[in-house]
Amino acid sequence: MSRISRGKSGGITRRGFLIAMTSVGMSFGFPRHLLAAMNPASPDGKVLPSEGDVYEPSLWYSIDTAGKIKVNIIRSEMGQHVGTAIARILADELEASWDDIEIIHVDSDPRWGFMATGGSWSVSQSWPVYRKAGAAGRIALIESAAKKWGIPAAQCQAIDGKVVSNKGEISYGKLVELGLTRQFTEDELKTLPLKPNQDLKLVGKQVTSLDIANKTNGKSIYGIDAKVDGMVYANPILPPTRYGSKVASVDDTAAQQVKGYQKTIILDDPSDSVEGWLMVIASSFMAAQKASKLVKVTWDAGATTKVSEADIINHGKTLISDQSKGSILDTGNVDTDSAFAKASSNISEQYITDTVLHAQMEPLNALVFNNPDGVWEVHSGCQWQSLTLPVLAKALGEDQENIVLRSYMLGGGFGRRLNGDYTVPAALASKAMGGVPVKMILTRAQDTQFDSARSASVQQLKMAFDNNKSVIGMEHHAAAGWPTQALAPGFMPKGVNDEPYDPFSIAGADHWYQVGAQKVRAISNDLAMAAFRPGWLRSVGPGWTGWAVESFMDEAAHHAGKDPLQFRLDMLIAEGRNAGSTPVAEGGAARQAAVLKKAGELIGWGSEQPENSGLGIASTFGQERDMPTWVACGVQVKVDKANGLVDVEKLVIAIDAGIIVDPNGAEAQCQGAALWGLSMALYEGTELLNGQYKDANFDTYTPLRLAQAPEVKIEFIVNQYPPSGLGEPAVTPVAPAIANAIYNAVGVRLRKLPMKPKHLRAALNQA
Amino acid sequence: MAKFILNGEAKSADVESDTPLLWVIRDELEMTGTKFGCGIGTCGACTVHVGGRATRSCITPVSSVEGAEITTIEGLAEKDDHPLQISWKKIQVPQCGYCQSGQIMQAAALLKDIPNPSDKDIDAVMGGNLCRCMTYIRIRDAIHEAANTIKEGNDEQNI
Amino acid sequence: MLKRIVIGIGGASLLGLGLFSLYAWNSSIDPVTPPLTKDYSPEVIAQGKILASAGYCSTCHTPPGGEEYAGNYEMHTEFGTIYSSNITPDVKTGIGSWSEEAFMRAMRTGVSRDGHHLLPAFPYEHFNKMSDQDINAIYAYIMTSISAVEQEKKDNGIPFPLNIRALQAGWKLLFADTEPFVENTDKSEQWNRGAYLAEGVAHCGACHTPRNALGGEQYEKMYQGAAIDGWIAPSLTDTSTSPIPWRAQDFYEYLTTGNSPYHGSAAGPMAPVMHKGLSALPNSDIEAISVYFAAENGTDQSIDPSTSESLKSAIAAQHEQADLRIDQGARLYATTCQACHYSSETIVKGRPLITLGSSTHLDKPTNLVNIMLDGVRSDQGIHGVVMPGFRDALSDQDIASIAAYLRQAAGEESWPKLLEQVGEIRNQPRFEH
Repeated sequence: MSRISRGKSGGITRRGFLIAMTSVGMSFGFPRHLLAAMNPASPDGKVLPSEGDVYEPSLWYSIDTAGKIKVNIIRSEMGQHVGTAIARILADELEASWDDIEIIHVDSDPRWGFMATGGSWSVSQSWPVYRKAGAAGRIALIESAAKKWGIPAAQCQAIDGKVVSNKGEISYGKLVELGLTRQFTEDELKTLPLKPNQDLKLVGKQVTSLDIANKTNGKSIYGIDAKVDGMVYANPILPPTRYGSKVASVDDTAAQQVKGYQKTIILDDPSDSVEGWLMVIASSFMAAQKASKLVKVTWDAGATTKVSEADIINHGKTLISDQSKGSILDTGNVDTDSAFAKASSNISEQYITDTVLHAQMEPLNALVFNNPDGVWEVHSGCQWQSLTLPVLAKALGEDQENIVLRSYMLGGGFGRRLNGDYTVPAALASKAMGGVPVKMILTRAQDTQFDSARSASVQQLKMAFDNNKSVIGMEHHAAAGWPTQALAPGFMPKGVNDEPYDPFSIAGADHWYQVGAQKVRAISNDLAMAAFRPGWLRSVGPGWTGWAVESFMDEAAHHAGKDPLQFRLDMLIAEGRNAGSTPVAEGGAARQAAVLKKAGELIGWGSEQPENSGLGIASTFGQERDMPTWVACGVQVKVDKANGLVDVEKLVIAIDAGIIVDPNGAEAQCQGAALWGLSMALYEGTELLNGQYKDANFDTYTPLRLAQAPEVKIEFIVNQYPPSGLGEPAVTPVAPAIANAIYNAVGVRLRKLPMKPKHLRAALNQA
Repeated sequence: MAKFILNGEAKSADVESDTPLLWVIRDELEMTGTKFGCGIGTCGACTVHVGGRATRSCITPVSSVEGAEITTIEGLAEKDDHPLQISWKKIQVPQCGYCQSGQIMQAAALLKDIPNPSDKDIDAVMGGNLCRCMTYIRIRDAIHEAANTIKEGNDEQNI
Repeated sequence: MLKRIVIGIGGASLLGLGLFSLYAWNSSIDPVTPPLTKDYSPEVIAQGKILASAGYCSTCHTPPGGEEYAGNYEMHTEFGTIYSSNITPDVKTGIGSWSEEAFMRAMRTGVSRDGHHLLPAFPYEHFNKMSDQDINAIYAYIMTSISAVEQEKKDNGIPFPLNIRALQAGWKLLFADTEPFVENTDKSEQWNRGAYLAEGVAHCGACHTPRNALGGEQYEKMYQGAAIDGWIAPSLTDTSTSPIPWRAQDFYEYLTTGNSPYHGSAAGPMAPVMHKGLSALPNSDIEAISVYFAAENGTDQSIDPSTSESLKSAIAAQHEQADLRIDQGARLYATTCQACHYSSETIVKGRPLITLGSSTHLDKPTNLVNIMLDGVRSDQGIHGVVMPGFRDALSDQDIASIAAYLRQAAGEESWPKLLEQVGEIRNQPRFEH
């Protein structure tokens, strides 16, 4: 295992981006910071050495004398093939040959700036940065070649890793070998000439993702595979409540009979990530796991041992009924009172979602040690390094500068690994043992118990109509446990009433429909916050706000006596705040209308359906208003009234994410997301039961299985808007489309997720 | 001392007899392609072949495979070119990839027994392999693709 | 139960003890110096080795991980825990000082060299069916080829008065089959060979024939199935509940590969019977045993299981699975069992359909649950293949729901009090096989 040391290396900082363009020779073959990085295409994940000197046109990549280009990726790989998507943005603008590209998933060095992988942000945010970086390199290489040939740069062209002119051709590698210097002024940087979008060659074309091969032969290295010499294994003992439990007594007599058992450590955690935890240390994982079952622990339990799902939901209802609670978002005209006062009719419905687990396939794990240079190395898959580092610093009582997170493949993120709390117990155990490498692996049941689940939610939606049954006002009140409040309160903006809110627990409610006065109120469910640590889960807020909005839109259409598709289209008007204010959002509500029409077309909206079958549509946007991916879903369902089973026979997704950088990966993300949406709609969901999640493992927690996956049709709307995100949005319209289809099939409205057979049977019995 | 054949090589490991095969392979023999998912045989991430049959290694005590022939994803094909590995790459099945060793090992056992599987056959035999990224649609396609490749190969040999 | 038996036979037996002791008395046979290899022809020793295997001497006389034939294999019986004897040629603690005559007497009448009665766990009633030549061959093999191990036999845990060895004489009088093997001239030579092996050295009836309250085999119910070591040895006769009848070739496949695709695998106590025992016999002998049992089973040899209605309905049942969202058993079966236990349109060996399996059709869930709990090791069932056990993975509730689902899918009535039975089976003593 390579050692990682701290200290400035290379002299390039994020602020110096594109300024220092001198060749940076490295005696090691590559810069020291790459020792802690990962190449997903190399057999053991190690970064391949570079040939000769390397030229680093920017922080984001280097070119060696063989012409190999290492692209630095600050996003974590968890199934999106994000490195391939981002590297091809760069390679395209740089005119590099795809065969020369190597992906480097970097460590958590501060040079990289803010590091987080979530929100479907990666491609959208990287798009301008890597294009500029590529353009700068291309210009520098062309100018260098032009100088060698003594001709104007305008007579040279960069193609496929070479500069060519009527003087011949010269490879990028050769140019690096000959030496390059080029500096850009700030003004030049601002006006770097980029290729026109239609000239992009790699973007939008089929290439094989660089991480794929190693995911078919067992060679990909995940956090759970991390290993160093002298490592001990740890398995924790978890307390009865997420917060506030204190260890009262420990008896490890029985555990001492386990061969390989070393000791049990009571953790003292200044970061409050793992209150009441103990770590059982042994020479193997099995020994640690066996021993942890034999250690007898008593706790002074925290206050939430009796809190169950119904308590959270009832508390949410109470909070919603108190108008003084929560934060009101800026949706333009928030004066709904007068709209409702003059309404000739109005409707009001309540929607509930149950707790959902991440259940990522790789159970949480971390390997932590203090290396011979005194640096704390944290080996673990992580989605949000910039959030995890300060937590680790607090836990260890160390400077962030002295802690580094090493990159690994993530065996699923889905938001669970945004919250890096699982690195803390391994760090504390290592510290308690003088810095020896401690490898902690949670069992599935422990992983589940420690999950930052998606909170249960309650939403109350109201709509006011004039006497033409046109919509003149809408309210959306949502109460749930807020992950951002629990984990990153600095990311909470304030509403018009100056109260902070979690954007990831309300986005989606601030939709693009023209509804007149609109009030959107987000409320933190403090009982949920006390009972568990809510987490961000794939599709975050829109995963459940969208369910309420789009179920309600159908109910509203029926109230108004209008076709649900036309009812929506009538309100999707790209004017005012719904015209779209950022480049990514340009086009606004009109783009949502377009995907909705497309989905209607694909599902055959309006066609006759057999008895107990129905079509449903829904349209949402993910993930926020400033980076919307417009998405619509159409489903065809068949309902078995006798047993309450809903079969989704057809599922179509129409989606507009602007330019599609990686078409194959984009389709994969949408397929997975749509099935995730289906899974949460009909198959998943747990409950809090006496302070813990009811389900512990896959014998009772039941995400979608292969046999339950219908064919999914994905259709992208082709255009030249800058790319938005694709990891999550296709999750969001699926559940409401199914609920709407069930209504159309059997005339019963389900307002609770998941929609299990027993719920439908109960509703049918009532109807 | 547990003894068995792993990917064609005789191996032994000094472990407690109740240690699951998974952890012997991963931690003692340092082949990490086989993954830990649920520990109770319900997700399939740990699937290896024992005597040519797909087996959940997380609940298989090493004592029960004494002398048996075990194949892991690393040993499925010498050049990582099993028809399934080829189709998996062509169709770009993996997302996070964590479950895929198990998926491929399970699918390889399927094709050995049922060389031309229907969708129903695939649904039934692959039902124990969970994919949280939900790559199911492509898994199904890739199994059909590999089955066709194998069939074409056999047909050519028969000409 | 045990208490009732103890009082019953204790009381009755004690009354007659005075008179009876005369009958029960056996003389001691003089010790001898162990014979040498040169005293026997290699062929005789080789034959003895085959027969010793086919009689599973090692299975009961070798504890797990212990020295071969040195005894102290622990057996749990209704009457208490007993330990097998040391039958290595050790003079002090084994049978090293036994003459051929003493060995013959023990094998035929269950009397030790020193004259004391052996417990009927030692199936001398069956060994008595063997020819002198075969018994002597086993003697030759043990005395010349097994290493002498000095190891005292542990005391049995049989309570008074059942531990009075003389009572065994009465037991023998009441229950033991003392008839020698008689050829049935109405049957073929092959059948007779099978009968000789099955009733004799292989002592199949010791497990497959039900016993009475005092442990005696009920000959009128020969091979009709019995509980043994926490398992059920199924019926080998026409009372078998297997949906597809056993043909000779099915017995043959089962006994040579450890598995019959239409019936199941040799697990539990049956695994060593075939892997460590019968596998030593020549194929012609296995064929003979198969012919014998097929006749016992009364099977029409011309049936084709692959076209049977039972198979067709089992294949079809795979595709008519209840939706996994409403049937927990179906869901757990689909997610934990079906990866192996599924065959498309024809049965593939190694992909057994549990709905056809013998264990699903027995009156009790014992065998099915045992296998779900503890699986099948590589040295059981099909050699080199394993099924993992779910003892530490699935709850009683999970296992009961799978068993109930299978039972229903197999078209059988549900097992009563299944959840309780699963709990009992989980907690019963486990035997090392």
